[in-house]
Amino acid sequence: MQADALYEDLDKEELERLEYLADNIRCPMCSYGNLSSSNAPISSDLKQEIASLINQGYSDQEIFDFMQDRYGDYILLDTNIEDNRSIFLIPLVVLVISILLVTTYTIRKSK
Amino acid sequence: MTTRAFLIIFLLLLLSLFSFFAISLQKDYVQPVKNQEGKPLILDRQLYTIDGIKVSEDSLLSGKVILNVYASYCLPCRVEHPFLIEIADSKDVKMVGISHKEQVSATKDYLEELGDPYDFSILDLDGDFSLKLGVIGPPETFLIIDGEIVAHRIGVIDINIWNEKFEKYF
Repeated sequence: MQADALYEDLDKEELERLEYLADNIRCPMCSYGNLSSSNAPISSDLKQEIASLINQGYSDQEIFDFMQDRYGDYILLDTNIEDNRSIFLIPLVVLVISILLVTTYTIRKSK
Repeated sequence: MTTRAFLIIFLLLLLSLFSFFAISLQKDYVQPVKNQEGKPLILDRQLYTIDGIKVSEDSLLSGKVILNVYASYCLPCRVEHPFLIEIADSKDVKMVGISHKEQVSATKDYLEELGDPYDFSILDLDGDFSLKLGVIGPPETFLIIDGEIVAHRIGVIDINIWNEKFEKYF
């Protein structure tokens, strides 16, 4: 079957939205890859379902929410900082401590 | 003096980081994908068994039902099959199979070869019912009590998984 025949109900703009969504939703069966990069059966099924959701008039955000509700945060490639603040804060804390350490050390050395 | 203080703080941080890693190594692998526990079972269309008989909503929504997603092409399903037969024989539970994206003839051959633990098997030729249920790929097992998914296993089910997640409902 040809690729454009699969999503014949969608117009050009909707196809672009489908592309965007498939690029930003992770394949639940894979370790990292998104739906467009994966040829797992679940990925083509999910792409088909996204197409039908677009047809039903869902917005992009609603589709992301729908997928997140079913498969969890893992499914979104774009991470939400609010969900896991400590992971983003630890490197900052380590950086600040190292800067302090280095500056105090060099100041003491130069005296 | 301050240098020494910072050095100690830094060493402590490093130590806590390493102990955090060491503790994390002891933990079991956590499935990144969320399972479907706590969600209702939604039946939005008429389902048929592999024998072409209509499935009544009541048979899935009332009482304890084990839904097992399987397919003849799925090798791990063969591994867990004897365990499913054991459960069907020893527990008072309705065992329902979902034949995932598979022709009826292949499913019937599979059940003939390995035995049939299921009360009936639902035909899911296009995989859409499984997809809406949140199935990623067979084998998967759901325990549904009065229409609510209380336990969901992604992957092969065995006695350890059963004792950990399913046994408490029996």
